[in-house]
Amino acid sequence: MDDTSKASGGRKTKIQVKNLTRSFGDLTVLNDISFNVAEGEFLSIVGPTGCGKTTFLNCLSKLLPTTKGNILIDGEEANPTKHNISFVFQEPTCMPWRTVRENVAYGMETKKFPKEKLEERLKYILDLVGLSDTANLYPNQVSASMEQRIAVARAFAVDPDLLLMDEPYGQLDVKLRYYLEDELVRLWKTLNSTVVFVTHNIEEAVYVAERILILSNKPTKIKAEVLVDLPRPRSLIDPKFVEIRKQVTELIRWW
Amino acid sequence: MAYESVKVETPLLLRILPVASVVLFFAVWQAIVDFGVVPNTMLASPTQVAVLFWEKLFVADPDGAVLSVHAWVSIQEAFTGFFLSLAIGIPLGLMMGWFSVAEGLARPIFELIRPIPPVAWIPLTIFWFGIGIPGKVFIIWLSGIVPCVINSYVGVRMTSPTLIQMARTYGATDWEIFKKICIPSALPMVFGAMTISQAYCWTTLVGAEYLAADQGLGYLITMGRRLASPPMVVLGMICVGLTGVAIGILIERVEKKLLAGIRR
Ligand SMILES: Nc1ncnc2c1ncn2[C@@H]1O[C@H](COP(=O)(O)OP(=O)(O)OP(=O)(O)O)[C@@H](O)[C@H]1O
Ligand SMILES: [Mg+2]
Repeated sequence: MDDTSKASGGRKTKIQVKNLTRSFGDLTVLNDISFNVAEGEFLSIVGPTGCGKTTFLNCLSKLLPTTKGNILIDGEEANPTKHNISFVFQEPTCMPWRTVRENVAYGMETKKFPKEKLEERLKYILDLVGLSDTANLYPNQVSASMEQRIAVARAFAVDPDLLLMDEPYGQLDVKLRYYLEDELVRLWKTLNSTVVFVTHNIEEAVYVAERILILSNKPTKIKAEVLVDLPRPRSLIDPKFVEIRKQVTELIRWW
Repeated sequence: MAYESVKVETPLLLRILPVASVVLFFAVWQAIVDFGVVPNTMLASPTQVAVLFWEKLFVADPDGAVLSVHAWVSIQEAFTGFFLSLAIGIPLGLMMGWFSVAEGLARPIFELIRPIPPVAWIPLTIFWFGIGIPGKVFIIWLSGIVPCVINSYVGVRMTSPTLIQMARTYGATDWEIFKKICIPSALPMVFGAMTISQAYCWTTLVGAEYLAADQGLGYLITMGRRLASPPMVVLGMICVGLTGVAIGILIERVEKKLLAGIRR
């Protein structure tokens, strides 16, 4: 399925998902899914509730074994100890006993970054995400939206080969979400990361992604693929934006 | 921090009631003994106990030691047993919570020994250690270790699965997850075990001393019975109670400090 990376624009293929299948007992959740992600691409995945989006990310990050098929990063079988995979979860994942700074550093610590590089990178990331002022506070002293930013900062800090995000902004109010989406796009651009962003908010997907994969109901397949070839910063009322949003909505209505 | 504790005015009546109840309690007790409702051979009055208390501060006879020596012996035994149960129970419980091998090995034995009341070990302990301090420490340790193991185990078990998954996605090993995620997350429960364990230790101490000792507050009670001296029995009981309360308050303070240190 090399033709899936239409958005690659000549970029090198980073991730190959080949015939990924996952069942729980008799229930086939993911049914033979294949696609590629190019290096530095921002890919969104949308799909109905319960179609297996979280399961899908868990397989990609190797938290769950796959029933069939495999996932290659740079042509090698994905492996959390070898590859830099970061995961931003649906729920906040701050450790309440660590300060904001220590929380952001956790990924780098685990990846055994050398001390100087860690400190340098930590400062850079905290500045970039705007957490420098609150760096020495504890998570219970900052707002809920901050907690998700901490998780995002921690994920970007390790310079991931692959950044997986599972509806990270699902719980937040609209205004804050726009703000954090802009921030996310900025981080992605600055740090050249490869991002797979799961959501069931169509507008959000069209706003952030270069390409959108639309999943079907269970047993889940890739139903369609939509390229979002719009300049940034994007406007929610740009006719082209609205057109793509409608197109995706139509595809989803078809279930 | 920015939080200010809410001050609640306690109504006057509610502040008087506890004092009144204590005063009434002692008054009734004194009256019961003074007017012979209960004969003096069966119960001592508060004033008799107070007099004996004053005497026992300086006089070792007839039971062989002054009050402070009895108390000191008991406190030493209780704390040695207590610290040993923390030192072994907490690591054991934490490991059982995370490593299935540790759980598989230790759990069955722990569950088997747990329902046996610590004082039931006294006869065996006398065979093994005689009636000195080591035997009593052993029994106290047995009773103190139970809450340590359980709380540490449950604390690790309650670690947020998402945090563990988060650590795994960064490639953390099992040992790293245990050290950096499970243990810190279990700490509040572990500290909570201190108060419970201390209370268990103190209660068992008296039992242990009652049966096998030559010094200590529990021994004072035994001697009171042998000498047919109700004031000495009651004095022993009161000293055990008061010392227990004092230790309890101390441990609770330490626990609060530790908890504040990890700030949740
Ligand atoms: N461990 C499991 N055992 C059995 N079935 C499971 C397990 N995990 C997930 N499932 C099933 O797989 C399906 C997909 O679940 P998943 O959480 O991946 O959906 P999702 O797309 O992330 O949903 P949402 O939009 O609510 O986050 C569900 O029907 C669920 O019941
Ligand atoms: Mg989900």
